[in-house]
Amino acid sequence: MDPRSAGSPWQEMRRLQQQMEHLFSGLSPALRRPLTGEYPSINISRSDDTMIVDAACPGMERDKLEVTVVGESVSIRGERKSEADSAQVRYHRRERPSGTFARTVVLDERLDPDRTDATYTHGILHLRLARAQEAAPKRISITS
Amino acid sequence: MDTTTSRTETQAAAEREIVTLAPPVDIYETDTAFVLLADMPGVAPDGLEVIVERNTLRIRGRAEEKTGEPEYQEFELGNYQSTFAITDDLDTERISAALRDGVLRVEIPKSERLRPKKIPVATE
Repeated sequence: MDPRSAGSPWQEMRRLQQQMEHLFSGLSPALRRPLTGEYPSINISRSDDTMIVDAACPGMERDKLEVTVVGESVSIRGERKSEADSAQVRYHRRERPSGTFARTVVLDERLDPDRTDATYTHGILHLRLARAQEAAPKRISITS
Repeated sequence: MDTTTSRTETQAAAEREIVTLAPPVDIYETDTAFVLLADMPGVAPDGLEVIVERNTLRIRGRAEEKTGEPEYQEFELGNYQSTFAITDDLDTERISAALRDGVLRVEIPKSERLRPKKIPVATE
């Protein structure tokens, strides 16, 4: 046995974890989630004047879903309650996350909180965030 | 575990244009029914199929297509599919399914004879 790994069990654990992450990388976000530790999963797109953040968070209670924009960051908070109490029913499988969550994403853009638009459709929270005026590209006309 | 095979499968899945995911599910049992909940974000009611065939329940969802590639991506909207074995003790004639905010809920009542019965005890 390699004496270095024998002396450092954590290093070995880390190596195994990296292998696991590699194996999981092609699987569903649900399986990746515990490893990255962040919920919900997000996608970010950008156009000239908007940043679009999509968050996959199905089954949220709308009145507990909260979005705040400050400077360059967007925070998403929410809660998903379990439908049934495990004291009253018998669970055979339990893979869906539940409880409260909060995630803050820092975008490398100043945002205009007054022009933010949020919709929640089919379990996807769709945020359209306007880039602050000074961050949007301006076309400079060239004079000869 | 054969890591070489898993890695190849993983790569193959990543290369396919539309991914198929097994949605995370909860299954619980009450006195009268089995309930299945599946997270399928991005799926609209018309993109969903719930099929009972012999002793299997198959759920299939197609997420609405998105235009463009995000510049930063943690999740992928694709197709969801899972198959579950169901026993004869369930009353598949009275199965019900609903989709709300990307969560599919399927309820299958237990057959009458499987439900717990309370027997009244006569006192003298």
